Amino acid sequence: MVAIYIDHLYKSFTFSRGWGKHRKQTNVVAVDRISLNIPCGQAIAFIGPNGAGKSTTIKMLTGILHPTAGKAMVLGYVPWKDRQSLARRIGVVFGQRSQLWYHLPPRDTLELLARIYDLEPKVFRQRRDSLVERFGLNEFWSTPVRKLSLGQRMRAEVAASLLHEPQILFLDEPTIGLDVLAQQKLRNLICEWNQQEGTTVFLTSHDTGDIERVAQRVVVINHGQIMLDAPVSELRSRYLNEKILSVKFHTPIYEFPTLQGVRQLEVMDFGLKLEINTRLIPIEQVISQILQIGSVADVAIEDPPLDAVIAHIYNQPASEGLSL
Amino acid sequence: MKSLHKYGWIAWTSARSNMAYLGEVVARTLFLVLILYIFLQLWRVTYSETQAQQLGGFTLPQMLWYLCVTESLAISAPRIAQDVDQDVRTGALTVQLVRPISYPMYRLWSSMGERGVRFGFNFAVSAVLALFFVGTIPMSIGGCLLFLLVLPIAFILDFLVMFLIGLGAFWLEDTSGLVLIYSRLLWLLGGLMIPLELFPESWQGILHNLPFALVIYAPARLFVHPSISDTLALLMRQGVALLMLTLCVQWVYGLAIQRIHSNGG
Amino acid sequence: MKALLNYLNLAIAYVRLNWNAHMEYRGAFVSQLLAMLLNNLMWVAFWGLFFTRFPVLRGWTVQDVVTLWAIAAAGFGLAHAIYGNALQLAKLIAQGQLDVWMLYPRVLLPHLLLGQMNATSWGDLLFGYGVYLGFVHPDMVHFVWFIGLTISVAALFVGFSVLTGSLSFYIGNASALSDQWRMAMLTFSTYPGTLFDGAIKLLLYSFIPAGFVTYLPVEALRSLSWVHAIGSVIGSVTILGIGIGVFYHGLRRYESGNLINMRG
Repeated sequence: MVAIYIDHLYKSFTFSRGWGKHRKQTNVVAVDRISLNIPCGQAIAFIGPNGAGKSTTIKMLTGILHPTAGKAMVLGYVPWKDRQSLARRIGVVFGQRSQLWYHLPPRDTLELLARIYDLEPKVFRQRRDSLVERFGLNEFWSTPVRKLSLGQRMRAEVAASLLHEPQILFLDEPTIGLDVLAQQKLRNLICEWNQQEGTTVFLTSHDTGDIERVAQRVVVINHGQIMLDAPVSELRSRYLNEKILSVKFHTPIYEFPTLQGVRQLEVMDFGLKLEINTRLIPIEQVISQILQIGSVADVAIEDPPLDAVIAHIYNQPASEGLSL
Repeated sequence: MKSLHKYGWIAWTSARSNMAYLGEVVARTLFLVLILYIFLQLWRVTYSETQAQQLGGFTLPQMLWYLCVTESLAISAPRIAQDVDQDVRTGALTVQLVRPISYPMYRLWSSMGERGVRFGFNFAVSAVLALFFVGTIPMSIGGCLLFLLVLPIAFILDFLVMFLIGLGAFWLEDTSGLVLIYSRLLWLLGGLMIPLELFPESWQGILHNLPFALVIYAPARLFVHPSISDTLALLMRQGVALLMLTLCVQWVYGLAIQRIHSNGG
Repeated sequence: MKALLNYLNLAIAYVRLNWNAHMEYRGAFVSQLLAMLLNNLMWVAFWGLFFTRFPVLRGWTVQDVVTLWAIAAAGFGLAHAIYGNALQLAKLIAQGQLDVWMLYPRVLLPHLLLGQMNATSWGDLLFGYGVYLGFVHPDMVHFVWFIGLTISVAALFVGFSVLTGSLSFYIGNASALSDQWRMAMLTFSTYPGTLFDGAIKLLLYSFIPAGFVTYLPVEALRSLSWVHAIGSVIGSVTILGIGIGVFYHGLRRYESGNLINMRG
């Protein structure tokens, strides 16, 4: 079964500037003839730089925006024609825009949502209790949202969007601004929901971590066009096999041996920054080398930023990129 | 031609950056147009139904000019109490204390400047409207000077009450209720919408001596009916009110300062 | 019928939630409410004073003017105590916040309007009913008419707020303009409709439809006149219809994306 079917979806915006005779109209293409099929139950990450057309695509798939041309079907509905019917079957979380009532506890928002979605009281109570348990909402169930940490709020936010058991969950930058632990917790929850309930997940993010841990498939979009459409496992082996290792020392160090698969990004008296290709050399081996050359004060291992990954993709010949 | 374009652009840019202020000016102008037109209609109907030439000693044109002054006065009031309240709560007042400047005087003069400009603008707009609606009334340069003599004192009296309310922030959780009560009493008992002459006889003796009338009614009436003897009597009353309110402010301000010194603000 | 009950149920849920949210700041809520009561009472006091001196104004007595204030305040209060977002519409549209509301399986406008409650409106509502019962002392029939007419006036205010707020669909952020337009409407809504003639009277039944607040309902209540009552309801329904029409016409521009900036 296909959850989302997109065929040559096209959206352009018209901007008018100036007055009278000088009035000029410019056309900006936001989404340029995208075609995509997403089967039910898949978790897909939709990534790209700002202004690439991610939000515009989500807005068309949820029925907020009408496309200029092209077709799309979400769960068998044309979103911009059957917005209300579709809304019953999808859940949407905007990382930047809360649907929780700021001055009230999450409990109250869920009660209201039960009415908005016409849930039977018995069904509602059952789902609510299971969400409270699985998302660990108990500890702040009766606390006004304004007093919650961002991590708690996002957990409540996602739980609220799952109350009506949507078949597709759209997540727009869900982990933005969260600390590492809260990110992990949220990713696990989304992942679980995808695997156990079979909910289709459509996610946009700036964070490679979100993509690696939640998605099975990744679509890179830029200038409104699909640059890459590949399983995450392939993306990982091709582009996400690099780690950034930062080390601080107690004492000055003088040199670091050259190793295959290790590139020195920065060398200072008290510190090092290395780019490690984990396909060529295991990270443990690099660390053991480092421990030999000086007394280590601090070590940090990071994923390369998404921008770097995307830049990497763009450097590949287009045909190769698209054939993945 | 090119430089004209350039200066035009500069003017446009500065106008845009002042848009917020401009919006407020437009809003006040529009409000004056509406309210003066409505009151013109109200009094026009009243005069024609009572078939009177004068009501409470005012002809219809005088009544409208009276309302021009009272409305301009009422909507020129700066947010003194709210600002003082904020200064108290944020601790800005404590900071002001270390400056070589008296806080009440600083507030007084900044509010006088603001109110002067706003009143001037409102009154100019109202005067144009009154000329358009009812034409001129007998006026003299001397009369205007008398008006300008009592007007600043009216501003100061209003300031002193608002300042007192603002200082209330030292003791009260919220002063906005007091601000509202004062402003509504000022409007009603100060003769904003209807001159005191048309109030019930028994009220008039008290109302003439309350500070509300000294802020709105008395200056507006003097503008319409200039008279040296009335001016002197008014100055006497204003002087007494000024003295009493100043003493009040000094006393309360003293208490407040003591509180800062003993509690550390 | 079932749909209506369902919607009523939803509306009650929203009012309750909005109420709870305001109760988080009980002190501020109560003082705003009292402030509005006091403000309105001052105006009634003014009219009381005016009518002690001039007992009749074009056939209207102090009772009629107090009735006018009661209807206007109760109508406005009822409208925005429930549909508080009507006052925010211009801003919501300009900031692209309709998006969130479009994700719910509900008819957009009636759902969206429930989203906020205007605290001072409760003061107006309380004042309106209080002053009518306490000052005019109506009999049962008049009171029932009063309830009906305030609901009609509330519909008018909702329609007018939606109409002015929807300007944002056409001219970008129209908050300032729609505020001014509403201010003009409110100002005219609190003075006897009998005061005005000619072109202004025409204005009061078109661009600033205050005549449907300050003349027809008051006349209807004075003499229990069905003609005036029906005229009042027709006016409200028309303005509400225009408001809804303009909103959905504008919404098409929103959905085409010609309004919102691209945010990636």
